[in-house]
Amino acid sequence: MLSLLGTLLVRFLEGMFAVGLVGSAIVLLITFVEDAELLFGREDSHQP
Amino acid sequence: MSSPSQPANNLGNRVRIVVATSVMLTFISYWRAAAIVLNDLASSAFYACGIAEQAVGKSAPWFIVGVMLFSFTVRAVYVESCSMFVRGGVYRVVKEALGGTLAKFSVSALMFDYVLTGPISGVSAGQYIVGLINEVMITADKHGWIPRAIHNLFNGTPQFDVNWTSVAFALAVTIYYWWENIKGIHESSEKALWVMQVTTVMVVLLLGWSALTLFKHGWQHVPLPSPGNLHFTKDSLGFLHRNFPDQSLAQKFGILGIMIAFGHSVLAMSGEESLAQVNRELAHPKLQNLKKAAIVIALYSFIFTGLTALLAVMLIPDAVRVPVYKDNLIAGLAMYMYGPEILRLIFRGFVVVVGFLILSGAVNTAIIGSNGVLNRVSEDGVLSDWFRFPHRKYGTSYRIINMIVGLQIFTILASRGDVYALGEAYAFGVIWSFAFKGLAMLVLRFKYKGERGWKVPANFHIGKYEIPFGMASITMVLLATAVINLFTKSVATISGIAFSLVFFAIFTASELANRKKHAASEKHLNDQFQLLQRDTVERESLGIRPGNVLVPVRDYNTLIHLRWALEKFDVHDQDIVVMSARVSRFGAAAYELAPEQIFSDYEQTLFTRAVSVAESFGKKVSLLVVPAGDVWSAIVQTAKNLESSAVVIGVSSKMTPEEQAFALGQAWETLPEPKRQFVLQVIHPDGRLETFRIGPHTPTMKDEDVLLLHRLWLNITHEPGLENVHHHEILTEALTRFAHDYGAREREDILRDLKRIGNMPRHAGGPKPPAVPLVRKEGGEGFPSSEPEE
Repeated sequence: MLSLLGTLLVRFLEGMFAVGLVGSAIVLLITFVEDAELLFGREDSHQP
Repeated sequence: MSSPSQPANNLGNRVRIVVATSVMLTFISYWRAAAIVLNDLASSAFYACGIAEQAVGKSAPWFIVGVMLFSFTVRAVYVESCSMFVRGGVYRVVKEALGGTLAKFSVSALMFDYVLTGPISGVSAGQYIVGLINEVMITADKHGWIPRAIHNLFNGTPQFDVNWTSVAFALAVTIYYWWENIKGIHESSEKALWVMQVTTVMVVLLLGWSALTLFKHGWQHVPLPSPGNLHFTKDSLGFLHRNFPDQSLAQKFGILGIMIAFGHSVLAMSGEESLAQVNRELAHPKLQNLKKAAIVIALYSFIFTGLTALLAVMLIPDAVRVPVYKDNLIAGLAMYMYGPEILRLIFRGFVVVVGFLILSGAVNTAIIGSNGVLNRVSEDGVLSDWFRFPHRKYGTSYRIINMIVGLQIFTILASRGDVYALGEAYAFGVIWSFAFKGLAMLVLRFKYKGERGWKVPANFHIGKYEIPFGMASITMVLLATAVINLFTKSVATISGIAFSLVFFAIFTASELANRKKHAASEKHLNDQFQLLQRDTVERESLGIRPGNVLVPVRDYNTLIHLRWALEKFDVHDQDIVVMSARVSRFGAAAYELAPEQIFSDYEQTLFTRAVSVAESFGKKVSLLVVPAGDVWSAIVQTAKNLESSAVVIGVSSKMTPEEQAFALGQAWETLPEPKRQFVLQVIHPDGRLETFRIGPHTPTMKDEDVLLLHRLWLNITHEPGLENVHHHEILTEALTRFAHDYGAREREDILRDLKRIGNMPRHAGGPKPPAVPLVRKEGGEGFPSSEPEE
C-alpha cells in the first residue's frame, strides 16, 4: 500500500516536473524575445 | 490647507504627524543593481558544481547549466512580483496569498536560506585560501624552499587541515561583519560594482585561457544528463537510500532521477531573491531598468556558473577533480590550464582573491539580508518589537544581528567545514523559499486585483478567465523539486524542518503577544497622535514655510540638538520640523511599508519625547516620519523638498562632525537639480556648535587674499583700456586660467602645492579633516565665523 502510494506520489511529481519544464521552456523562449527587443529594439524617439 | 503642526503644549488635541510613504532613496542604475545581486548570485559558482558532482556524478555540469537556464524564468517571477504595488513585508504579501501559517513557513525557509548563505560562503572562501596555501607549500617544498627543521616538524610538507582552517576563516569573517553590521556599515553599490569588475576580469581570463587549453590539450567528455549517466551516492539519495540501496532509482523511474539531480544543483541559482531587494532603489524607468538588471544577472550567472561548471569537468582530470578540488573547483581549473606552472599558480592566486572578495561579501549580504527580512517581519507584527530595539550607540537592530550571527556561528561549527553538507542544507532553504514565492505569486494572479506592471508570459484565456500557464509551470517545477529534496537530503530536511519549526514557534508566539500589545498601543496612538499619510514630502501640502529648520531625531535619549534648536530659533519666524527617518536597509526593500508600520512603537516613544521637549519650551513643532534607504539621503531630500535653510543634528557616536558633514555633502551631490544650499549645525552634548555649509557657496577669503586681489585690480586698472575692470572679473580670469592649467599639463604641480598648503602647521599634530566636497566648515581653523553669501 505504502509502496503504491509512493509510486503514485513519484508519478505525480514527475508529471508536475515534466509539464512544468515544458511550460518553463515556453516562458524562457518568450522572455528571450522580449529581452532581445528590450536590449536591441529601437528606442521610441517620439517626444511628448 | 491644514497644517500638520499643532501647538505641542496643547495635548487636548491629538498631535498630527505626517507619515510619508514613498521611500527616500538614492537611486542606482541597473548596472549597479545587477552588480549587487551578482555579488550574491555569482558567488555560487565557486561551490555549486563541486557539490552537484559529488551528489550526481560527472554529468552534474549539465544540470548546473539547466538550473541556470531555469533561473531565467525564476527571475521573471521576481520581476512580476516587483511590478506589483503592494505595501507590507514579505510576510504580509505571502499571507495575503497563502494564509498566515504558510506565510510563517515561507519566511522561515527564507531565513534558513539567508542564515546558511553566510556559513557556506565563508567556509567556501576558506577552502579556496587554504587550498592555495597548501599548494604553495607543496611547490615550495618541491623546490627545497622550506627549511629542513620545519619539514621535519610536520613529518613532511607542512599542510593545514583544510576543513578546520576554513572553519576558523569563516568564523573570523563572520565576526568581522557582525561588528560592521552592529556599527551599521553603509552598503555601497560602488563596492559591489568594483567587485564585479574584478570578477569579470577573472571570468574573461578563465574563459579565454580555457578555450586555449581546450584547443591545445583537448577535453574530457561530459556525460549527457540522462538517467543512465547519473551516479547517486548514499548521501545524495537521503531517505530514499533505504528503499533503493542498489541506487537503481534513476533507471526505475526515469524522470525522478533527473529531478533528484536537478534538486542537488538548484543552489546554483541562490541569490536570485536579492533582485527583489534592489528593485526599490532602481532609477526611473523602474520596470524597464529592473528587466535590464535581470537580463544582465541571468546572462552573467549563466556564463560564469554554467560554463565554469562545464569547463571544470572538461579540463580537470577525473582522478583529482572530486578528490582534490571538489571544494575549490575554479582553483583546480586554474591549475589545469595550458602554460607554465608559475603562471597557473599566479592565476590561482587571482582566483582565490576574487573568491575571497565575492564570498566574504556574500557573508555580509547574508547578515544584511537576514536583518532586513527579520526587521520587516517584525514590522509586519510577527516578530516581537523587542528584537528591533535599536542599539544605544549605533542605532542598529543589534538583537536581530546577534541572533542571526549566533545561528551562523553555530552552523559553521556544526558543519566542521564540510561544504557539501552546508550546500545540501542551503539548497533546502533556497528551493523552499523559491517554491513559496512561486506559489504566492500564482495565487495572487487570482486574488490581487491592483496595479501590476508586467506579467510572466504564456497566459491564455478561457472565457473571461486568464490561465497563468507560465507562472503555474515555473511553480510546478519549483514545488516538485522542493518536495523531492525533502526525501533526498536527509540532513537538510531534518535541520531545515527543525529550523523552520523553531522560527514558526517564535513567529506564532510573537504574533500572539504583539496582537495584545498592539491593541493597547493602537489605543494610545489614536489618543495621542493623528497620522496623516502623504505619498511624498512636499512643503506646500504640509503647510510649512520656506526657510524652516529641519531637526532629524533618532534616539529619544539624545534630544539635546532639538532643545538647542527650540532655544535658538523663533518659531514665529521659522518653522521647526522634527523628522525621523525610518531606515530600511538593503535586504528589506522588496515592498514598501504601510503607514502604521512606518510609525511604529519606537517612533511613538520618540515623538512623545520630542513633543514633551517642545512643550517645555512652549513652542510648536511639526512632526514628520519618512521611510528611507539611508539617513543622509532622507535628510537632504527632505531639506530640499521642505526648502529648509538649516538642518540641526546631534554629534554622532560613530562619526566626527566633519564626517557627518561629508556624508551629508555626498548625499547632497546625488540630488537632482534644482537643489538649494543649507546650513548644517552639529550640536555637541555640551552644547558646543559646529556649522557647515552644504552645497556650493562663496568661499571665505583670507584678508591677504582680498588684499592681493585688490592690488591686482589696482595694477590692472592702470592699464589703458582696462579702467572699468571689476574685482570679480579678475577672479573669473584667474579661475579660468587655473582650471585650464589643472586640466592640462600642470595638474601634478598644482596638487603638490595644494598638499603642501594642506599640510601647513594649522593641521599638524591633529587629524586632517576629510576632503569635503562642496562643504565648508564655518568658524575655527582660522576662518571667520561668518562669510558673505554673495
